[in-house]
Amino acid sequence: MSIFEYNGSAVVAMVGKNCFAIASDRRLGVQLQTVATDFQRVFKIHGKLYIGLSGLASDAQTLYQRLVFKHKLYQLREERDMKPETFASLVSSMLYEKRFGPYFCQPIIAGLGQDDEPFICTMDCIGAKELAKDFVVSGTASESLYGACESMYKPNMEPEELFETISQALLSSVDRDCLSGWGGYVLIVTATEVQERVLKGRMD
Amino acid sequence: MAGSMELPTKGGFSFDLCRRNAMLEKTGHKMPGFRKTGTTIVGLVFTDGVVLGADTRATEGPIVADKNCEKIHFMAPNIYCCGAGTAADTEAVTDMVSSQLQLHRYATSRESRVVTALTLLKTHLFNYQGHVSAALVLGGVDVTGPHLHTVYPHGSTDTLPFATMGSGSLAAMSVFELKYREGLTREEGIALVAEAIRAGIFNDLGSGSNVDVCVITKGNTEYLRNHELPNPRTFVSSKGYSFNKGHTEVLSTKITQLKLKPEVADGDAMEE
Amino acid sequence: MECVIGVVGRDFAVVAADTSAVQSILVHKTDEDKIMLLDSHKLMGASGEPGDRVQFTEFIQKNLHLYQFRNNMPLSTAATANFTRGELATALRKNPYSVNIILAGFDKDAGASMYYIDYIATLHKIDKGAFGYGSYFCLSLMDKLYHPDMTVEEAVDLVDKCIKEIRLRLVVAPQNFAIKIVDKDGARDYARREIGGDSPAAATTAATVATTA
Repeated sequence: MSIFEYNGSAVVAMVGKNCFAIASDRRLGVQLQTVATDFQRVFKIHGKLYIGLSGLASDAQTLYQRLVFKHKLYQLREERDMKPETFASLVSSMLYEKRFGPYFCQPIIAGLGQDDEPFICTMDCIGAKELAKDFVVSGTASESLYGACESMYKPNMEPEELFETISQALLSSVDRDCLSGWGGYVLIVTATEVQERVLKGRMD
Repeated sequence: MAGSMELPTKGGFSFDLCRRNAMLEKTGHKMPGFRKTGTTIVGLVFTDGVVLGADTRATEGPIVADKNCEKIHFMAPNIYCCGAGTAADTEAVTDMVSSQLQLHRYATSRESRVVTALTLLKTHLFNYQGHVSAALVLGGVDVTGPHLHTVYPHGSTDTLPFATMGSGSLAAMSVFELKYREGLTREEGIALVAEAIRAGIFNDLGSGSNVDVCVITKGNTEYLRNHELPNPRTFVSSKGYSFNKGHTEVLSTKITQLKLKPEVADGDAMEE
Repeated sequence: MECVIGVVGRDFAVVAADTSAVQSILVHKTDEDKIMLLDSHKLMGASGEPGDRVQFTEFIQKNLHLYQFRNNMPLSTAATANFTRGELATALRKNPYSVNIILAGFDKDAGASMYYIDYIATLHKIDKGAFGYGSYFCLSLMDKLYHPDMTVEEAVDLVDKCIKEIRLRLVVAPQNFAIKIVDKDGARDYARREIGGDSPAAATTAATVATTA
């Protein structure tokens, strides 16, 4: 078993029309044993910037704490929030610094940039950036997420439709993955508001 | 308390997770694979410049992680570099050298030379003894004319009139060996590079999707992103899936209004 | 094999752990206390490498005391959990401790709470949980029988059912268990569950379990 599969995870982000969605499953497991079903993998950096960390839960927490720390210092120094592109470079360089002893996390970054232009991107655990215009996926359910998103995604979706699409993609994908699931957590972010929803999922 | 304070990093790699990772590996957890660019990258010299080419597939094991990634990296306005191997390494090493070249240009006010980029790349790669796994095709035009080099992960380099790298290098090289000659025109050069990349795309499973081309001549660089698209999507439905509102079962909803930034009146735009 | 169990009730938390010190096939002793009283209102149930367990829990305990001496106030349970995770995570990158921890505490404002911290420094707030081989039996039992506003009697009854199940179904079941509780009146021993009846504390409380096991 790979260390990425130790806790189980599924994270996905999608771009809509002047909005984006980021979603994750809620399971915390230790291999095949489920420890909790209210685990957080999507974290807020600021109102319009979020990061989802799949992989080893411990490293997700460590990485998140370091990122918040660095972002707070940036805010104090610059008196502004970080742009998603800048933040992605920060995450990438933090991961690549540990090229020969990596954090076991595959991050997904989603945010609204200048003029509220949506930005999504993912990386591998040593910071190889992959920018996408449509959707990005990571976690133990990534293979099924690729398939689900590839067929369900449409460009320029409005927030309501985007929510349904990302939720259905997530829920259908985690049903084909033993290690993730047990409910979902979806964030829809537009220029004016953030909608946070907890989804009901299968409990098996 | 024994907690460690976070200090600004000085650059370079950090090895402080290695011991833990070795422990986890000993408990039977497999180490993860990194995103690779199972790749076809090529380059050739024609009468008054160089042409670089690459496919656009990024893989993670057998999975296609990115169908349209960029493998031709910017080094300097007159130098570009194709990367194969571990994606993070090619990205990081080209970015780093590109920054060093920019600083060198600021210091000297002269156009960067291809050999400078080559030396910076090979010293870095040699220092890491092949552990930074980047295989590169470096091309550019400087005061001394057009140059094309290949760089291997261990730091050895070649200077060639035509070169291929990556998992599709054999397929691409067969095209070059058959059709390359001295004194190609610009159009012939682009066509040959595209054909070599197509050979990789269709005959090597690690390579795929589109053809990216970059043409560098004296004083002019043309980056032809997605120059050819030989693999369009065939499976997408024109209507797509649509879900009705309220289709998904929701347990709880929380809506937060975002505060709008106050507009600053009569402020001068900050210089970049 | 080692078992640590924890349950949060209405305004208290119960932590139970086996009391066996084992090395390969040999049981060295059966009255090893694996639940440490960190301060007046905190319990730390730990399992794992014996040396690491004692060293690490004592290290946390002493640091908590130091904090209290310096600041004239104790660390909250949430802060303790995050401190513990932080120490475990930094140690993990140098010289890892292999300890799994269930941390329970009572705060005036937040009430009773419990945290799951495993040896790779995963932190999560839970209201029921277990570590070790016992967890394979306990978690399902707790999923079925747990509810958030349990009384002390109900919670201890649930823990007893877990212990009973472990003794019945686990090949390498430990003999004795200690149960501790933390509520507004502080953290303290609650009961022991022993098979042999060779301990005086066992006579009163272990009767029901001992007969069935």
